[in-house]
Amino acid sequence: MIKKQLAQLGVVFFFFAVALPAYADQRQSATALMTPSNQAMQNDMSLNPALFWMMDGEALWGNRSNPAGKACADCHQDVKKSMKSVAATFPKRVNGKLLNLEGQINQCQTSRQQSPAFAYESKNLLSLSTLIAYQSRGLPIAASIDPAIEPDYRKGQSLYFQRIGQLNLSCAQCHDDRAGLRLASSTIPQAHPTAYPIYRIEWQGVGSLQRRLRSCVSAVRAEQYAYGSPELLALEFYLMRRANGMQVESPGVRP
Amino acid sequence: MSRSSRAVVTMPKTAKKGEVFSIRAIVQHDMESGFRHTEQGERVPRDMIRSFVCTYNGNEVFKADLHSGVASNPLFIFYAKAEQSGNFEFKWQGDNNYLTVVNQAITVA
Repeated sequence: MIKKQLAQLGVVFFFFAVALPAYADQRQSATALMTPSNQAMQNDMSLNPALFWMMDGEALWGNRSNPAGKACADCHQDVKKSMKSVAATFPKRVNGKLLNLEGQINQCQTSRQQSPAFAYESKNLLSLSTLIAYQSRGLPIAASIDPAIEPDYRKGQSLYFQRIGQLNLSCAQCHDDRAGLRLASSTIPQAHPTAYPIYRIEWQGVGSLQRRLRSCVSAVRAEQYAYGSPELLALEFYLMRRANGMQVESPGVRP
Repeated sequence: MSRSSRAVVTMPKTAKKGEVFSIRAIVQHDMESGFRHTEQGERVPRDMIRSFVCTYNGNEVFKADLHSGVASNPLFIFYAKAEQSGNFEFKWQGDNNYLTVVNQAITVA
């Protein structure tokens, strides 16, 4: 009897040992779809144009010219130490509310530095988020799996599978069902947000994950969700959790 | 008064005589082509870097003229041969009094 149970257990363990890594291997960052020269541009920070946003971010990190007279560095000290792996955990719940990295930066900006919030996609906000995201480069994405955050996860998930727009397409129809196939000349990626903020060559500048999501929404001819809206936040969280364990590559370069 | 921006040059600080090494020079610039229009239909004026010159102890080793097809934040990668210790000067010049100069010293053993 015990022998039989042990044998069954063995089968179960065998299943996990084989099946789980196989599942993990199927996930692929869009970096793998790029040309070697674009990959080099992303990985080598002396070639990556997002470098300039990082330098601007470093200047802002030490900037005290706000009503509170406080720089980011006055509370958080060295960005390389204090912000290590921080970006890999966003979006997360802060005081019961889902917040992404940009939202957290703006919360510091308005409360601690008593200044108006940075506009979404403004150079200052992107510079700070690029600087902070870079401190997680090479570390695994670690979005929360706390039961308290499940409603946000489920909301993001349902949006991901929701058909929208005149083209009547869901995110999943391209990025799950047709990932690896081609849309015009480009390969459809699996939509893992491993490298945001990204320097997109088409944009000729750095943009956030929400900018990317909004372009997708407009491409299926749906009404765009507003920047910082609950919909985009939930989608952002769902995608990050879907990529849990994958390496952060921020700031990425994309064609 | 000229406008300037950030530029980053990556090259070795020391080299052996006769050694060929690579230089990377990237500069922050939006490179407005002059062909774009705002949503109101107004033309966005051209604002580009027009030339990039690299000199090694006063001798020109690399030069490029830039035109409207060049991407923003242009990056140049080129090679130079170490002859003697001295200075590399990198100079970007462009519209609206744009000027950025970076100097980098090299020791040739």
